[in-house]
Amino acid sequence: MTGRIRFLLAETGQNIWRNLALTLASIIVVGASLALFGSSQLVARGVDNATQRWEGGIEFVVFMKADAEISQDEAIRALLTASEGQEIDSWQYVDKAQTFQEFTEFFADDAELLETISVDTMPPSYRIRPTDTDAGAVAALGQTFESRPGVRTVVFATEVIREIQTNADKISRATLWFGVALLVASTIMILTTLSIAISSRRNEIEIMKLVGASNWFIRIPFMIEGLVQGVVGALIALPGLAFVRTYLIEDFSKSDNLRLLEGFRVTDNEFLLISLSVIAIGTIVATIGSIFAVSRYLDV
Amino acid sequence: MIRLENVSKEYSADSPALINANVDIEKGEFVFLVGQSGSGKSTFIRLLNREEKPTQGKVYVAGKDIVGLSSWKVPFLRRNIGCIFQDYRLLPKRTVSENVAFALEVIGRPRHVIEQQVPAILDLVGLSEKSHRMPDELSGGEQQRVSIARAFVNRPLILLADEPTGNLDPSTAVGIMRLLDRINRTGTTVVMATHDRGIVDTMRRRVIELADGKIIRDQNQGEYR
Repeated sequence: MTGRIRFLLAETGQNIWRNLALTLASIIVVGASLALFGSSQLVARGVDNATQRWEGGIEFVVFMKADAEISQDEAIRALLTASEGQEIDSWQYVDKAQTFQEFTEFFADDAELLETISVDTMPPSYRIRPTDTDAGAVAALGQTFESRPGVRTVVFATEVIREIQTNADKISRATLWFGVALLVASTIMILTTLSIAISSRRNEIEIMKLVGASNWFIRIPFMIEGLVQGVVGALIALPGLAFVRTYLIEDFSKSDNLRLLEGFRVTDNEFLLISLSVIAIGTIVATIGSIFAVSRYLDV
Repeated sequence: MIRLENVSKEYSADSPALINANVDIEKGEFVFLVGQSGSGKSTFIRLLNREEKPTQGKVYVAGKDIVGLSSWKVPFLRRNIGCIFQDYRLLPKRTVSENVAFALEVIGRPRHVIEQQVPAILDLVGLSEKSHRMPDELSGGEQQRVSIARAFVNRPLILLADEPTGNLDPSTAVGIMRLLDRINRTGTTVVMATHDRGIVDTMRRRVIELADGKIIRDQNQGEYR
């Protein structure tokens, strides 16, 4: 059995070596496609994270001071309740515990930061959906809360955030189709590379058939070759993804000029999940390309 | 060992390659298939190792009907059938011993068996000294010997040879025929397609003659001059 495996691996190695230029080209195409696909997933996650608090038409958030008095809090609540159905369509209270939970989920990979906070230090907040969503009207309404006792700050959904959110669906749909198109291109590339490999080894394949090699014994080296292209392509896409992630976090969310995209980040868990899905997709694409190639071009 | 029952093969409707062939070949026989180019010799051989299926009729090899054999079983049939061709079909980037070993490696024979059988078969075909040469360093006759070694290394029941001497000069061809005769004496059934009358007359074995796809003569040794 080990001799058989050694032979199959040697055959695969020879296939790749003889067809090296095309195999490398195929790996690069798969890698680039998966890097783009993964990057668009990272961006989608970043958009999602950055706009999470603005979901459901929330236009501004009133953050209370962590040490605000109960009476101050009740005054804001009374004002909101009184305005409900008039200037304010709806509102939602996010208490200290909930804020702490959201914060710890969001910064799950930043242990140092999490050590410095506790439930008590978290500011409770009111997420407010106004009736009139005109930018001027929202700003005027928000400002009426800014000067109230116990209010720390009022944060508005910027136009950029609102635009990103409005277009999130379009972005994710476009991303999906873009990714699918690239993955189809990768599959075709693997299929083409294997068809050339099969063609260049037709004499050996013919002899293998004549001396009684089983159909799978003939197919397997080509299938492994396809799999190598998919998996190596996926692996070279990962550093690209790490670069995109770091670039997004370091330059977008921390840049003074781009404060609008604060919160634009991808957690370690999300990155791990996207990386694993990129490897899985690379493997699936390679398997599909290999199966097509051996069933179409390998007449055993 | 081999039986063809009412076998016909048509590649296109207007030019049948084989018409209603009925043949019985016993174990250990040496049979020549003779006839002009296009008479159906190669088709006959290709039907025996299931490279082709007949349009009608039945083909039996070692008692089994191979026409209805499922495709995954065909490799196991071929392990019992060695094939030799006019153009040798050696792998140019492998040495003599690697070419022979290849036939055992691809059917999963263990390394120690390969290391034992390859030198033995190269000794049989007289190429022990050239086991590390590349095919392009060998003469035509030597290349055909490698091809025979590869076909016989797995000790098949049947050896099919399609014009094995077609590219060789007469004296080299005689050497190849002696080798095939030696293999036949081990009990292996040999079916050889040729249009070399000289060889057929010298060997004095059973002859099946084909013309336009029909068997027009089937004579045992001693029945012809």
